[in-house]
Amino acid sequence: MRESDRKLYLASITDRYVRGEVSRRRFLRAAGKLGLGAGALGLSTTMPFGFRRGNFNSALAADIVPDAEMMAWLKDVAKPFAGQTIRLATESTPPSNAINEHLKPFFEEATGINVEIEVLPLEQVLQKLTLDVASGLGTYDLYYLDQSWMASFSGDVIDPREKYAANSALAMPNYNFDDFLGPLVDGISMYEDIMVGVPYDIPIFIYMYRKDIYDELGLKVATTLDEFLANAQAIQKAKGPAIYGTTGQMKSGHYSLECDWTAWLWGHGGSIFGPDRKFSGNDDAGLAAMDYWVKLKENMPPGVTSWTWDGQGQSVGQGIAGQVLSWGEFFPSWDNPDASQVSGLMEAAIPPAPKALRTVKETGFGEIPGVGHQGGSSLAVSKYSKSEDAAWLFAQWATSADTQVFITTLGGGTGPTRTSVYDDARVKANAKHGIPGTTRHLDVVRETIDNYMGSEPDLPEWAELSNDTIPVELGRFFAGEYDSPKAAMDSIAEKVDKIVSG
Amino acid sequence: MVLSRTQRLLRAFAAWAVVMLFVFPIYYWVTLSIKLDREIFSIPPKVFSFETSAKSYEEVFGISLGFEEGLAVLPGGGDFYMTPRLWDSIVIAVCSTVLAIVIATLAAYALSRMRFRGQHHFVFWILSTRMMPPVAVAIPMFFIYRDFGLLDTYQGVILIHALMNMPLAVLLLKSFFDDIPKEIDEAALIDGASRFLIFRKLVLPMAVGGIAATAVLCFIFSWTEFLFVLTLTQTGLKTVPVVSSTFVTSTGTAWGNMAALGTAAILPAFVFILLVQKNLVRGLTLGSVKQ
Amino acid sequence: MVTRALRAPRFMVSDHPLPWLLPLIVILVVFAVYPLFYNIYLSFHEFAPRKREIVPVGFDNWAQLFADPRMWSAFYVTLFYTGVCLTIQLVLGMAIALLIDSDDPGFGFLRGLLTLTLVIPPAITGMMFLLMQDAQFGLITWMLQSLGILTQATPILATPSLALWGVILADVWQWTPFMVLIFVAGLRSLPRDPFESAMIDGANSWQIFRRITLPMMGKVIAIAVLIRGIDLFRMFDYVFVMTSGGPGTSTYTLSLYAWQQTFSFIKWGYGATLSLFALIVILVAANLFVAIFKVRW
Repeated sequence: MRESDRKLYLASITDRYVRGEVSRRRFLRAAGKLGLGAGALGLSTTMPFGFRRGNFNSALAADIVPDAEMMAWLKDVAKPFAGQTIRLATESTPPSNAINEHLKPFFEEATGINVEIEVLPLEQVLQKLTLDVASGLGTYDLYYLDQSWMASFSGDVIDPREKYAANSALAMPNYNFDDFLGPLVDGISMYEDIMVGVPYDIPIFIYMYRKDIYDELGLKVATTLDEFLANAQAIQKAKGPAIYGTTGQMKSGHYSLECDWTAWLWGHGGSIFGPDRKFSGNDDAGLAAMDYWVKLKENMPPGVTSWTWDGQGQSVGQGIAGQVLSWGEFFPSWDNPDASQVSGLMEAAIPPAPKALRTVKETGFGEIPGVGHQGGSSLAVSKYSKSEDAAWLFAQWATSADTQVFITTLGGGTGPTRTSVYDDARVKANAKHGIPGTTRHLDVVRETIDNYMGSEPDLPEWAELSNDTIPVELGRFFAGEYDSPKAAMDSIAEKVDKIVSG
Repeated sequence: MVLSRTQRLLRAFAAWAVVMLFVFPIYYWVTLSIKLDREIFSIPPKVFSFETSAKSYEEVFGISLGFEEGLAVLPGGGDFYMTPRLWDSIVIAVCSTVLAIVIATLAAYALSRMRFRGQHHFVFWILSTRMMPPVAVAIPMFFIYRDFGLLDTYQGVILIHALMNMPLAVLLLKSFFDDIPKEIDEAALIDGASRFLIFRKLVLPMAVGGIAATAVLCFIFSWTEFLFVLTLTQTGLKTVPVVSSTFVTSTGTAWGNMAALGTAAILPAFVFILLVQKNLVRGLTLGSVKQ
Repeated sequence: MVTRALRAPRFMVSDHPLPWLLPLIVILVVFAVYPLFYNIYLSFHEFAPRKREIVPVGFDNWAQLFADPRMWSAFYVTLFYTGVCLTIQLVLGMAIALLIDSDDPGFGFLRGLLTLTLVIPPAITGMMFLLMQDAQFGLITWMLQSLGILTQATPILATPSLALWGVILADVWQWTPFMVLIFVAGLRSLPRDPFESAMIDGANSWQIFRRITLPMMGKVIAIAVLIRGIDLFRMFDYVFVMTSGGPGTSTYTLSLYAWQQTFSFIKWGYGATLSLFALIVILVAANLFVAIFKVRW
């Protein structure tokens, strides 16, 4: 922010505070962001517990300068909506946390719209949204929709393309729908012909490995699944049991186990459903995937069967795994020297090539086979919202290229959904080794999205299948309750088909 | 029972050992809140010596103690976020405890002193209201609350917490009242005192310890309740157990932050317990006026 | 004085309990009876996700309930869990209560310290024990492995035969002090005379405990068992956080299953049916308990 802008902004917010238009808290917060300590304002700001609030995160003032043109436009069009409050329930993900902590005030100051964000774990967000749509309450103006919920909520939202076209006064200039990565729009935003929401965040499986170990053992980056397995075995043999070949997220009964499974399944030319809309994980390709997975698991820490992505990420961060195929989201936190033992040692690569790959037509329910399993989410405007226009402004702002750049540079590990953000100089500038919030893995993320992305099927029963039926039975298999992979997969097939046929 | 000096020492030793065993996980939890993130996962675990940092507290409560450098995206919402949640928790726990105790003492007194047909079944019915799995209460409550505008309000959560504690409070208080001899009431009745006067001036003061003990339990159950607060609140208020879950993020769990909030949340509750502790012990011993 | 009171029973009779009980009845009817009927209604209906409304399904949910192997497995897990936890907490709670029921210096402080475990929200307790029992980084795992009790190949929470015990450990840790608190209160309200005469008669500690303390504590124990038993049967937080019901279904409890059906799969009807089933089981068990142990209120 230029010095003159800073003063102007300060003057305006002070003015509004004096006139009682903004709360003391927000005023102090904004002032803090401008690098102005509370002391300078002559206000005593004692916190409960007797601590004096410091100039927390004041570095922001220098780092975050929203696009002036966009903010001016927002300020202009938002006039009728000033004073409205919009609500969003979201999973605790990097973009939501970045917006909630650092970016939201800029939107609020410009528009006068209050934004309340409720941050919750994923399954609780689903619960909140379901109650909201079932009661037609319209408490939440914006929905955070995981890709696996698209089918369920497609009837409760406003198609953003229609909204954009229908009201040109509220259509953000240069918003540019075409800037979103094409595969993402298909994979996380579209249900049949409806665009359910705007692509918001994209965690996706990429291949990440310890450069130091690879160099020491003379390993090459795997280009096939067999090489990936061979590398894991080599690391395990040379370094085990202090360092394992690879690691996983294989907690029984948890969605993460299903995520791991699909990557191996798709990578072996299998699919969850066949064109006849029957479970096909028990065909030859599916069983080959299970054999591969069992061999791979021999090179994982014994605790993997009790870990979700949480334990998996930690096992790499603590330096006990040599390589992993998992969420790219982890990468920046592994470069954080405070939290991780492997800061600067990790490298990212595109996922190993599949042995065979089915086309979408060879599957049921529109799943897109690919080793790069994606867990993206989109931001949707609720049909029941009473402040639809204000919510739409927020959605555009939150997914605009400019805001995404700040979300990405603030760290936390988001995967941007726009082409231009990957190319942005500010994002590229953060591609350094060993700093929290590095962006040096993003080129791999982008390439994976463009070429190797795998998406789960869209069907209303998918929440139950992916969170319960499949991971519970897979969990039983890995706990030794089935004699063979075949027995386990046949059992899953029977249960899944029963649920799908109703 | 009369114990020799050695026996008393042995007993004290055993008591301390047992209590320390129970306190140890809490100690370990507190250490997480002042450890660097990477030390949380050391193998073997670091229990007594580790690098300390107040970073977790700074992040969770938005205060500056000089540890946090630069800016970072924090899980759960970050700065200025958790202090109001502690306040929400305290308001809800205190108010719901008071409400539960007021209603329950009245009812428990009647159940202790008066006899009516079907009383046994009535008491069992009160108890049975606690038997419904909370999941099953949450959905209908959501719809009632929507219609009465109680969603996302203090009143709504206070009411449901008071209800949740009612069976326990009534049963415990009734047993405490039962320990106070009925002869006292009867004597006063003959002297012409009204029931309410007896209740207020005679029975209540004698049962103070029992009431304190019951209040502690009500407070604790409200303080730790999860599902109702989760379902019946939105952005307006949240209690500690629910906001704690926001530290479980898509990129891992922020153990240090969660432990910092947990530690801070133990304090108000523990202070409350200590405040009534003296009363509690004295009251419980006096419980049955056995002079 | 006593005799006069007996001659004037009309004072007791003329008092009507209704005004005293009214606030309680009102709050219970609104917050407990209504949800009950709503659940009965729901159990004959199901939420249709497409239509966003509740449609009648007759007895389908109940038929499904009894034919559902997952339900029966959850039922047995819940029964086992409740039984084991209750027994351990009862015995351990009584032992600790007897141990720390003393007026010697420091014991009041010890009792206060012990209540600390209760102050921690069960969801956080679950996270604590999840971390301490982590197969790789956990403190408890590390200690057990150092002692040679556990091997690397048997992570506590991912081994079917051990997982439930891992959860039980968390429950026992958190709730034994609850039993202690109630038992200490009970012990302290006992009259002294029987103890004194027993000691004069030369009875030993075990005899005193068996013949005097236990019988006199009967009511307190009954309340503790009822309250704790009910809560144990509805237990949800620990398994939800620690095991997600796994491995397989070895730690799936009825409450977790009902929660999942209700909130994850939006099968409100079936969820309500599961809850009602749990309610019926508790009601029957509690009634039996009250009858067998002759609990009178």
